[in-house]
Amino acid sequence: MTLWFVLALMTAAAMFAVLWPLGRRNAAPAGSDVAVYRDQLDEIERDRAGGLIADVEAEAARVEVSRRLLAAAVAAQTAPEPAPSSVWRRRAAAIAALVLLPVGAAFIYLVLGSPWLPGEPHAARLQTPLQNQSIQGLVSQVEAHIERNPEDGRGWEVLAPVYMRLGRYDDAVKARRKSLELNGSNAERESDLAEALVAAANGVVTADAKAAFERALTLDAKDTKSRFYIGVAAEQDGRREEAASIWRTMLVSAPPDALWAATVREALTRVTSSGPSAADVAAAADMPPQQRAEMVRGMVAGLAARLAQDGADIEGWLRLVRAYMVLGERDKAQAAVVQARRALARDPEKLRRIDGLVKELGI
Amino acid sequence: MIPELGHYALVLALVLALIQSTAPVIGARTRDAALMNVAGSTALAQFGFVAIAFGALTACYVTSDFSVANVFENSHSQMPLVYKFTSVWGNHEGSMLLWVLILAFFGALVALFGNNLPATLKANVLAVQSWIATAFYLFILFTSNPFLRLPDAPFEGRDLNPILQDIGLAVHPPMLYLGYVGFSIAFSFAIAALIEGRIDAAWARWVRPWTLLAWMCLTLGIAMGSYWAYYELGWGGWWFWDPVENASLMPWLAGTALLHSAVVMEKRNALKVWTLLLAILAFSLSLIGTFLVRSGVLTSVHTFASDPTRGVFILMILVLFIGGGLALYAWRAPLLKQGGLFAPISREGALVFNNLFLTTACATVFIGTLYPLALEALTDEKISVGAPFFNLTFGPLFLPLLVAMPFGPLLAWKRGDILGVAQRLIAACALAAVGIAIVFIAVGEGSVLAPFGIGLALFVIAGALTDLSERTGMFRLPFATVRQRASGLPRSAWGTAVAHFGLGVTLLGVVCESNWNEERIVALKPTQTVSIRGYDLGFDGVIPRQGPNFREQIARFTVKRNGEMIGVMEPSKRTFPSRSTSTTEAALLTRGASQIYLSLGDSNADGSIAVRLYHKPLVLLIWLGAVVMVLGGALSLSDRRLRVGAPKPAAKFAAQPAE
Amino acid sequence: MTRKQRRLVLIGVSLGVLGLAAALVLSALRESIVFFNSPTDVAEKNLAPGTRIRLGGLVKDGSLVRGDNLLIRFKVTDGNKDVAVTYQGIVPDLFREGQGVVAEGRIEPDGTFRADSVLAKHDENYMPREVADALKKQGRWQEGSGKSGAPK
Repeated sequence: MTLWFVLALMTAAAMFAVLWPLGRRNAAPAGSDVAVYRDQLDEIERDRAGGLIADVEAEAARVEVSRRLLAAAVAAQTAPEPAPSSVWRRRAAAIAALVLLPVGAAFIYLVLGSPWLPGEPHAARLQTPLQNQSIQGLVSQVEAHIERNPEDGRGWEVLAPVYMRLGRYDDAVKARRKSLELNGSNAERESDLAEALVAAANGVVTADAKAAFERALTLDAKDTKSRFYIGVAAEQDGRREEAASIWRTMLVSAPPDALWAATVREALTRVTSSGPSAADVAAAADMPPQQRAEMVRGMVAGLAARLAQDGADIEGWLRLVRAYMVLGERDKAQAAVVQARRALARDPEKLRRIDGLVKELGI
Repeated sequence: MIPELGHYALVLALVLALIQSTAPVIGARTRDAALMNVAGSTALAQFGFVAIAFGALTACYVTSDFSVANVFENSHSQMPLVYKFTSVWGNHEGSMLLWVLILAFFGALVALFGNNLPATLKANVLAVQSWIATAFYLFILFTSNPFLRLPDAPFEGRDLNPILQDIGLAVHPPMLYLGYVGFSIAFSFAIAALIEGRIDAAWARWVRPWTLLAWMCLTLGIAMGSYWAYYELGWGGWWFWDPVENASLMPWLAGTALLHSAVVMEKRNALKVWTLLLAILAFSLSLIGTFLVRSGVLTSVHTFASDPTRGVFILMILVLFIGGGLALYAWRAPLLKQGGLFAPISREGALVFNNLFLTTACATVFIGTLYPLALEALTDEKISVGAPFFNLTFGPLFLPLLVAMPFGPLLAWKRGDILGVAQRLIAACALAAVGIAIVFIAVGEGSVLAPFGIGLALFVIAGALTDLSERTGMFRLPFATVRQRASGLPRSAWGTAVAHFGLGVTLLGVVCESNWNEERIVALKPTQTVSIRGYDLGFDGVIPRQGPNFREQIARFTVKRNGEMIGVMEPSKRTFPSRSTSTTEAALLTRGASQIYLSLGDSNADGSIAVRLYHKPLVLLIWLGAVVMVLGGALSLSDRRLRVGAPKPAAKFAAQPAE
Repeated sequence: MTRKQRRLVLIGVSLGVLGLAAALVLSALRESIVFFNSPTDVAEKNLAPGTRIRLGGLVKDGSLVRGDNLLIRFKVTDGNKDVAVTYQGIVPDLFREGQGVVAEGRIEPDGTFRADSVLAKHDENYMPREVADALKKQGRWQEGSGKSGAPK
């Protein structure tokens, strides 16, 4: 309500600015060129008196300015007197001020403005009680704190899971790396980092993530999250048998009330029921060759697609190249080698393995 | 509520501008005093409302109100307060708001202090001023609205571009805009004169203070921008012939020409049509500068956003005002009464010489700036026109100007005696010759041009002093007479001499810096020392520090000369996490007018850090000279003759004896 | 002098200065402009060694090698062709692999590019316009992709 009141006041002030001069009929004080030339004459006289210009020059200048002064004076006399202000013209201007001004302003403002939105100064928002604050607001406060104290490991640790929940996976990775760096390494932090990495890679267990899971397992061989994800990695690499066996072991040793058991069981059914499990492969042996090649091609295509997204997995590349060779697609194998070299360019160890394979297969 | 108040105030300013664009023109045509008076009060009200809008936006920045999209995009709650202020105009929308604020400010000034103008001229000037304002209000409201809101206000802003988080930014753009926009007054006066179809010597006197004010601000703005680039960009350069810099130089050249031609018009009633053209050109070049910078046609630090609709809109404004202005000129100028002609060797002849070279130099800058754009539009070929082009064209054209500069003020009006003037400049010539000889002997090798550059600068400086001593009769007359003459000398004469002196000082700085600048790029480890021109800089090590919204790695250097410590330099690298970007902060150590300049490069794996080290002799003179030029302008502006003309004060002044 | 003569002097001098300026501009344009080229342009145009050009593109991932004495080598790519660049000096703050860059310098007889100045972008979202155009031509650039890149 205050807003509308103030807007109305402003409109009234604007209208007044137009109406006020219309009410004053006599002309405002104004200058004319005659005054300027008079002043120029005085100035010449001053300069001459001060010795700044010679008498001859002063005289010439005076004649010139006087001529201008005369012309200006004549022009001023012959010019029409300021006409008495005509009533209808003033009325028209007043109507413009009274009608067009408020209507026009209101129209433009209502099209562009957002009068229903309150202002939200930062300080005021920070003072709203905690339970009323959005999670965004809380995050922002912790972020501001971290910004000032970047060496506060606890702050990073608090922030990371919130980032995960908000879907800000890249920030979560950053926070967890920071937390690892400041708080030191343990199995939980390693596996948390790895999980964030997986989330940031849209669910793909990247080489980075896998390495972190493995580090977690060396610190604590029982770390559930890491074991589960190592299984996922195996599944994504196509080693379904291996994944299934990891998960089976987990389930066997699971405490009866483990919440994660359901997730693992679900994953286990996924690998054992669909796709080429050991049983599938056995069945494939009985398939007609045509059909079998189809199935293998499907698997290879899936692998290639995954590697194109995340090229850090050396095992995957080796398998892909071999598969192409087996399928007799030599040029595709060569292309895969080129891609692999590009993807692994920064890792000389892995490059060497690619080179070894190339030599072995004689590509 | 505050952002909405600002938004509405801007809308009101637009509506008022529409009324101010029409009523006074009708009033001036029909000599209706009431309608003409509308111009004054609406101009003041317009300024009031734009000021409210600008104040509201500033308040949103200061309180970090991220429900305003513009604040969210360009601010951060942790940013130091001073940058919260400066980021108001550190972005496209806010800077356009500043532009119209200044436009309205000048309108209000004319309304307040324009009492010495004839009523019709004043009404027309304010109406034309309002046409420009209307166009820019529309531009802001419909394509670059700073008051657009976000329904779900984010909790943290995106931060201001770190390179713009600097105190130089606090003053450079407002100054530059004061200059750019100040020329709008000269433009409005020119258009108003064309509408009235009458122009005479008095017009020049009325328009001169406004031009002078704009010119001073522009000079200061360019100098500050140059100094900002010098220390913030980390390259030690002070002028890059970057298109954006050229965009500010062109109106300066045209404006300087306008200042000089207006003198001829005022004194001799000549060059009237030419002066009108210059007034139109100076503001057109300001508009082109705005267009180049804001439309995204060029890429630079100043290009905040490139949105095609904005470009098209500004182009329309450009075509409307430049095209319209020039068309009106072509139509009406031949109808104006021509002024007289004059002898080539005379003060007015010298001023024409000045105008000729200034405008030609301006034209070469124009070609160099726009040629790449034209070529790309026509042939799709991308080129860059850099410093070499401008050195080869602008340099030779500016040279005769500088040589002739001391002659101009010494020549008499109407018919000058060039030999007599040359005689009076003999002392200045001698000083220049001595300077050349000393530099030749002292330096020995190097560019042959350098000593002559120094000589020219000394000639310009000594020429300005000669002008003063001639006018006051120093060395010729008894002391009492000299004193009396000096105090009787109009302030504008002092202003001329001081401004010319300032240009000489700048030239001296430019010549020294560009010829004897020493550069050293090395990789240093802690405890190592690097030397430049007798200064030894010992690298003590790197210290990390936490700033309000950045982290900083400071490299500490102890500077010694002959074993004696004279200072500490702390260049740094700043990392801004909110934009994941970093800036280099150079460190400067001033010794007299010379500076040692130190900026950091990358850190290497072996623990060393790359540094770029310069010794820049007399570099500060470049900007000091500009400040002196502005002082000259201020002296000239304070000359009471520029204010008289209003009936009452004129009578009072006339009665007073010369001070 | 008569009015006519004075007018002629004025016009004569003006034309003289304009002529001088035109001559300066034309000769300077011939000598001192620099053409912008993408790596593909360099490959296709067969530029003579020693030609001064501006080269723009992305700094190729994994190509940056730092040597002694602030010497750096890197490759500029537009996704289609690469050009090897050497540069001695300090590179700008935002010079990184995978980021846009404009280098000015000459082509050496061995086909490498010796840069004497290197410009990088000003901030995270900014891409030199010439580079963006060159990449668009090669189909390697989408509007806004500069913004969505994950922070590393």
